[in-house]
Amino acid sequence: MKSLHSAQFIVSQSIDSDAIFTLLQHEFSLYETGHTRLKCHYLDTFDWRMYRKNYVCSWYQTANKRAKNREGIFFIHEKETGNSICELPLSRVPGFSKDINHQAYRRMLDNILGIRALMTVAVLTVRRRQLIILDEEHKTLALLQLEQYTIDESADDDQPAGRLIVCPVRGYPKVFKRVVQLVTEQLKLPHSREALLDEVLAVTGKRPDTYKLTGFQELESSFSTWEAVRILLQHLFSVMQANEPGLREAIDTEFLHDYRVAVRRIRSILGQIKHVFPDKLLAYFKREFFWLGTVTTPTRDLDMYLLKFDGYIQALPDDLQQHLEMFRLFLQRHWKIEHARLCRALDSKRYQKLASEWQKILANADMPLQSEMSTGSQAQETCNAAEPVRIVARQRIWKLYKRILKEGGSITPQSHDEGLHELRKSCKKFRYLIEFFQDYYVGKSIKQLLKPLKQLQDNLGDFQDLCVQIEQLNGFAEQMQQEGLADTKTIMAMGVLVENLNKRKKALRAEFGRQFESFIQPEKKAVFVEALRV
Amino acid sequence: MKIVACYNVKGGIGKTAAAVNLAFLAAHEGARTLVWDLDPQGAASFYFRIKPKVKKGSKGLLTGKKALEEVVKGTDYPNLDLIPADFSYRNLDLQLDEVKKSNTRIQKLLKPLASEYDFIFLDCPPSISLVSENTLIAADAVVVPTIPTTLSLRTLDQIIEFCNKLNIDHTKISTFFSMTDSRKKLHKQIVENPPQHVRVLGTSIPYASDVERMGIYRQPVPVFAGNSRAAKAYRTLWEEIKSVLG
Ligand SMILES: Nc1ncnc2c1ncn2[C@@H]1O[C@H](COP(=O)(O)OP(=O)(O)OP(=O)(O)O)[C@@H](O)[C@H]1O
Ligand SMILES: [Mg+2]
Repeated sequence: MKSLHSAQFIVSQSIDSDAIFTLLQHEFSLYETGHTRLKCHYLDTFDWRMYRKNYVCSWYQTANKRAKNREGIFFIHEKETGNSICELPLSRVPGFSKDINHQAYRRMLDNILGIRALMTVAVLTVRRRQLIILDEEHKTLALLQLEQYTIDESADDDQPAGRLIVCPVRGYPKVFKRVVQLVTEQLKLPHSREALLDEVLAVTGKRPDTYKLTGFQELESSFSTWEAVRILLQHLFSVMQANEPGLREAIDTEFLHDYRVAVRRIRSILGQIKHVFPDKLLAYFKREFFWLGTVTTPTRDLDMYLLKFDGYIQALPDDLQQHLEMFRLFLQRHWKIEHARLCRALDSKRYQKLASEWQKILANADMPLQSEMSTGSQAQETCNAAEPVRIVARQRIWKLYKRILKEGGSITPQSHDEGLHELRKSCKKFRYLIEFFQDYYVGKSIKQLLKPLKQLQDNLGDFQDLCVQIEQLNGFAEQMQQEGLADTKTIMAMGVLVENLNKRKKALRAEFGRQFESFIQPEKKAVFVEALRV
Repeated sequence: MKIVACYNVKGGIGKTAAAVNLAFLAAHEGARTLVWDLDPQGAASFYFRIKPKVKKGSKGLLTGKKALEEVVKGTDYPNLDLIPADFSYRNLDLQLDEVKKSNTRIQKLLKPLASEYDFIFLDCPPSISLVSENTLIAADAVVVPTIPTTLSLRTLDQIIEFCNKLNIDHTKISTFFSMTDSRKKLHKQIVENPPQHVRVLGTSIPYASDVERMGIYRQPVPVFAGNSRAAKAYRTLWEEIKSVLG
């Protein structure tokens, strides 16, 4: 079905439907509907995935509480052209792509949204009057919509301008052309240049680019270690804060994931960039961020199981598949408990204290305690704070690189899993530092190192996840029996699941050697040495 | 894209009514839907208030490039388009006979529309002809309205025979009872003991004045009588057909 170009005009308050009616009635037979009031929910993911692909998602519902038909309609439009891509009846605001019944659109959304959920980014009240152009058989040839908008949270004088939208009907291009011509020439209405969503966002002050997990301002080469670390830590903390409401509401699993990544990165800086904080303060922050990592882990683990659940089921023999459903129930039940516990931790005094202490220290342009403290040993504790970050970071990165070579080199097919876990941690720290201080390398050659590093990390990360899952699954099975949730078949199904995971684990382990080799190639090392040249 | 042909050798038994109402319901759910009114009488076009006229007639459609796309008309409903009937379709048989691979021509014509539509409904004229052969070959599902009378059941056998003769997989045929009147004993008997050698859908469309009124309102039944018995029957029929289509 071809999507057709509509024409949109900006309408000032003084133009009313009468003027348009008068203009068109000489040439066309018209039918005018009464006013309707609609609520339009603009939808996008937290990180604006639809918008970035140039799509506008919306859900319309009549705002008339007494209306008989309260069913909503879900739309996808092309942002630039306003062309409608999809128009589906939908009784409530969709969250995930799976909420869309239509196969083609579900796939399209799935490709764009992934595991992220749609959420309402703006709510608009639309007052619409329709003018339908009919032929002598009373068949619609074109549709005119005169719309006025109110954003509920905005002042009266700060609202998007009204619009006249001329919608063509396929197969009747002449009528459409003529209407557009009349409106342009006689009413002299200007074409709208911007998507309505952009106008709405401008009024509400929301910007589609405000959230980025990794993007932060450029670090200047003259920065001291404290100056750079402070920028990084401030950014990471703002990422935590930005994700907090979404993880509390559990809109999708990425909020908690990104929150945890930010916590891990903070911990990595605290641990890796030495002698910036006074010892006592450092110990406090390290302990508290470690705690934050711990309190978020159970929920995240359960998220992972639930995300992968359909895959688990599909990997089972047909006759066992249904028996895993009890396990899903068990996971969902425990998820609720763990998530509530996590929210309580975020409400705790302990968390509030951490947040305020953290903001207090980051408010300082210089590492303040240095001057306040007179004794030599305390000055020693923060001796790197005023040093050029270029040097301090590079030294640390180099050290980590050597550690990775050493740890990885000592791993043999026979050695214990523990060695791989240690290596995984070192790689993660290394990767974070490389990303944080990317402004300080010579040239772009560091990129060549990142690809094999990422692959190596994927291998190690997946391996680690499987180790944890296999262990946990055995524990879960026991727990389910205790809770009376598991019959023999369920336990059998979980047993097959563990077997499947074990197979994958073995495969990953076998793969490790090759991944590590490709990471430590001599020419890659040369590139790295060059990039870190002072 | 799935092609649904509404077909029967017999006339006046609810083919067009089914095509129009089912297509409307499909579109209303959000599926991109097209109806091709293949009957020169143009009943489906009439229900959608679209002039039964196609530029360059059937000859143009059979010979032109991307010819179908150019004659598609939007209906008054979202997601629902129509290719109108044309008086020239009464010669479609002869014209098809003149082209190469004459019995797969309609299938070929519809192919370019595969990415544009989820469902294409063919409203066929009542006959056994090259046109019906074409639609039976092109269709993923052939929906055959049948009035529950002994005579109509024999027509059903005729259609199956016709398929067998042409080597068309007759399992794509689904029949449903149309214009049923529960007060008629024979209707009741046949509906309760449907034939076993062909797929008979569980939903019957009752004889209902709301279906006749489509001609007055010139709208699909769910538009002007959404809660009527007929509208409900078409809804469950559509659910069944969707599950047959898989
Ligand atoms: N279920 C029904 N109840 C009452 N009237 C019906 C019903 N179905 C169809 N009709 C009426 O019967 C007439 C024929 O219906 P329809 O046009 O759908 O049949 P058809 O098989 O397409 O006919 P044709 O072979 O002429 O194309 C129409 O006037 C229609 O309104
Ligand atoms: Mg008909």
